[in-house]
Amino acid sequence: MINRRKLLANAGAAGLFSASGMGSVLSSFSAQAADSSGYKALVCVFLEGGMDHYDTILPYDQSSYNTFRGLREDLFTAYGGDAIDNSRGRENLLQLNPTNAADFGSRQFGVPSQLSPLQSLFSDGNAAIVSNVGPLLEPVTRVDYENNKNLLPPRLFSHNDQRTNWLAFNPEGARYGWGGYFADAHVFNPSDAQRMFSTISMANNSVFLWGQEVLPYQATPGGSKEFRIMTSGGIRSGLTLPTSIRSELENHLMGAGVESSSLFMRDIKSIHQSSIEANEFFNTVMGGAPDLSASFPSTSLGRQLEAVAETISMRNQFGVGRQVFYVMLPTFDTHGDQATRLPGLHAEMAEAIASFYQSTVDLGVQNDVTLFTASDFGRTLNINSRTGTDHGWGGHHFVVGGAVRGGEIYGEVPPYELGHDYDAGRGRTIPTTSVEQYAATLGKWFGLSDSELRTALPNLGSFNQTDLMFL
Amino acid sequence: MKRLQMLFALGLFAAASACTSAGSDDVSAGGGSTPPPIQDQPQPAPVVETPLTTSESSSLLSQGTFGPSMQDIAALENASASAWVAAQFDEPMSLHLPNVLAVLPNGGFRNANGEYVPGIAADSFVDTAIRGDDQLRQRMAYALSQILVVSGAPGSSIHFEPHVQAAYMDILVRNAFGNYRDVLEEVTYSPAMASYLTYFRNRKANDLTGAVPDENYAREIMQLFTIGLVELNMDGTPRLQNGQPIETYTNEDIVGLSRVFTGLSYDAGGFWSSVGNGTEPSYLPLRMYENFHSEKEKTFLGTTIPAGVSGVESIDRALDVLFDHPNVAPFISRQLIQRFVTSNPKPEYVQRVAQAFESGSFTMPNGAAVGEGQRGDLKATIAAVLLDAEARDESLRDTPEFGKIREPYLRFVHWARAFNVNQASVDDQRYLWNAENAERLGQLPLRASSVFNFYRPGYTAPGSATSEAGLVAPELQILNATSLVGGHDVLTHYIFSTAQVRGSGDNPNFVPDYSAEIALAETPQALVDHLDTVLAGGKLEDQTKTRMVNMIDAIEITSANRESDLRGRVEFAIFLTMTTPEYIVQR
Repeated sequence: MINRRKLLANAGAAGLFSASGMGSVLSSFSAQAADSSGYKALVCVFLEGGMDHYDTILPYDQSSYNTFRGLREDLFTAYGGDAIDNSRGRENLLQLNPTNAADFGSRQFGVPSQLSPLQSLFSDGNAAIVSNVGPLLEPVTRVDYENNKNLLPPRLFSHNDQRTNWLAFNPEGARYGWGGYFADAHVFNPSDAQRMFSTISMANNSVFLWGQEVLPYQATPGGSKEFRIMTSGGIRSGLTLPTSIRSELENHLMGAGVESSSLFMRDIKSIHQSSIEANEFFNTVMGGAPDLSASFPSTSLGRQLEAVAETISMRNQFGVGRQVFYVMLPTFDTHGDQATRLPGLHAEMAEAIASFYQSTVDLGVQNDVTLFTASDFGRTLNINSRTGTDHGWGGHHFVVGGAVRGGEIYGEVPPYELGHDYDAGRGRTIPTTSVEQYAATLGKWFGLSDSELRTALPNLGSFNQTDLMFL
Repeated sequence: MKRLQMLFALGLFAAASACTSAGSDDVSAGGGSTPPPIQDQPQPAPVVETPLTTSESSSLLSQGTFGPSMQDIAALENASASAWVAAQFDEPMSLHLPNVLAVLPNGGFRNANGEYVPGIAADSFVDTAIRGDDQLRQRMAYALSQILVVSGAPGSSIHFEPHVQAAYMDILVRNAFGNYRDVLEEVTYSPAMASYLTYFRNRKANDLTGAVPDENYAREIMQLFTIGLVELNMDGTPRLQNGQPIETYTNEDIVGLSRVFTGLSYDAGGFWSSVGNGTEPSYLPLRMYENFHSEKEKTFLGTTIPAGVSGVESIDRALDVLFDHPNVAPFISRQLIQRFVTSNPKPEYVQRVAQAFESGSFTMPNGAAVGEGQRGDLKATIAAVLLDAEARDESLRDTPEFGKIREPYLRFVHWARAFNVNQASVDDQRYLWNAENAERLGQLPLRASSVFNFYRPGYTAPGSATSEAGLVAPELQILNATSLVGGHDVLTHYIFSTAQVRGSGDNPNFVPDYSAEIALAETPQALVDHLDTVLAGGKLEDQTKTRMVNMIDAIEITSANRESDLRGRVEFAIFLTMTTPEYIVQR
């Protein structure tokens, strides 16, 4: 087990197992602008494909509901029409009772029953809704949209580009995301642990987590992958590799001492090295994680968020005071057959998030962990002939945690109608809250100073309100 | 510091683009702007065609096939690259639908024994990649399947429709050396694409309910299959206006074009007729039902198809407009170069290939002309990709930016080809069944996670050496500390013959023939040299080889267990070779 021995040695040298070591580091850097005291984590739940925000937060007052249903009659029919169990029937919606109901006059809102766990969190004050969020360079209306394309983020309505516009304020090709920048602000000791385990993905490698200091760690629910040939004694029946070659084998896989002009070869070497060293370290630490008392659904998102909670439970062993996590739930791109596809996704999302919140309560960190949703874009209000919806722009999002000023709907909710000042066509809503305002509110809670926020969020200065006050 | 260096590669995914400049916040729309003039063509650097050396044969076969065996390399010695390409054009094509029909003649997705076989199309793709003689054609079809992406991954609408998947791949196989305009048309009418991008039974607007045509295909056929997001020069670089790229279309173009792709359904009784899984209408070209086609005016990209034009005519005209766009040649050419040769081709290389696409003809180094002379000729295009000086010049191999990371699927198939496995059925293979998962290979034909393919042509891996140098590395989007090791572990199971089959295993698949290697196993140096040639194209570094020899030597040959020990040396040596950066990077 040469790996383990070496890792433990490395860990000792870097002080990774020492929680107290972290405290002294923090105190000696108290002049830093960012507030890095205690522990805080941000968890980004990315709803890939573009979640239909209209079918997530629905109008509930009879008048708005009727108009909305009229615009989506075929979809309403696909959900079951007048059947008693149509989850989009007004009587089956779960009404939201926001503390700021007065801000919306006679307008009321509800969510489908599949989002019941989120509605409970909202009612209990542990979840907030931020309305019509999307990428913006500066505030715009329909007039600007139609007349001055220079005011708009590039490549609107394109999946890959809006995904990175959301997460990194640039179209495809972006190299740093705001999760990475937020973590960077807390890296003042360039130790391996801070750089390695400040940003962690339980899904794909998202640019969201890349900063100039931090190096995202790619984890996998159920443990990180290690070379089978290094971990299994016998490779096959009748063949056991001599133990004498194990360190040479490790050197081979890490390409030790092999220099190459090829930059691609260097990248492959790096991946092998990290899989051998970091994965074993991560697995070693996580091997000591106690079972969580909260039970998670055995869904993809459930497993990802469970792994996040487990990692948070070992925060002292990793010795990192601020962490940003990324999890992902795909296939929200409901161009067709939305009625058969969206409810299951909603249920998976809401159940996993509620379990996650419960686990933070169990771990006593509910006030230190804030989860939020993000997505490529919202979708069109009027439906297409496939009883689906097409690409939009702004969308509604959830923020969950003990520190959240919950039970409130933040920002403007454009009318669920066509042709208003924030309609870019077919009810693709022009955002009334920018991603950067949303992020700035999270970042301030995360301890960033104003100047650090402006570094991470390049267009923040174009907006008057930089703290939406949901935290 | 070294430890920090190595951490640069912790996990790699995201989204990126090669030819679009990131960070622009001031992009003007360019829907109706004029096409760029074709610039003066740089003359192709002269290629003096001398007989291929072993190393040259190996690199040509790595680029143009699913990977060579020793016999393949030997067969090419003293031949020329032009002659090999020409011979590949003449190989009879292997089609996939007949293979699926042979197993599932009555449709459905259970075989004659009632066994559930969702991987039956993948069976044909993998078996043909390993054993088919029409290697270049199949590689081209596979490359095209990564541009015109349809996915049969679990959860996809065609996961349980192997006939539909096979028929789709056959479109790409049949047209691999045909014309890109024909590819676009056949793809548009295919049930696979119509289902995947949701324009199957897409209908004209309903002014009563307000429902309008689905925009999905209109958007992706422009963004991904033909013109891309920004205007390009012939060399693949973006055209700039006031320093900014020029977007090719607006959302209004999407709305206009979405009306074109309405009215298509199965060629059966009627628009709403359902058809059985595996029956002919389920996989044959769709039919236009004019009653459901939008009769409104269709305006996009500066063109207007007047109101009342029929559906068939509208699709024909729309595909002409897209195909005639000057972006198509550089947009497609660059991606093909990336699939076969190098991730970061020089602009001049892109331009030479785009020129072959434009003119529909290419003159091979041996003087023979290739192509029908029609724009979009893929025979001329692929010949230009493989026979360009940049692809063939051995002196470029060691430059920092040359080459590409071998796709995980190609590495797996290469192993199977190099060691002549007996037969290849995917469906009973636990480790191949959903091989597109990150913990497995991370890739299988027609199993991408979205229409954006396994990776983007412009993906740059944050924090990597290639990214720091401004290079793209598409394959790194699916290779990280989890998935790269996952792929090695799948290979490990096959190399050491420990892959478990789901069935009884009395008719094992993927049995390699290591006899040539076992004959060398008593001399580790000879074994390593041999594997360096057959797998790594002679690129293994001396230090790597020395270390390999020492490790292989440490496996004792015992008299009691001689056969197993010799075989173990071979298996281990193959594993070692295929996990070197020298092998994983194709140069």
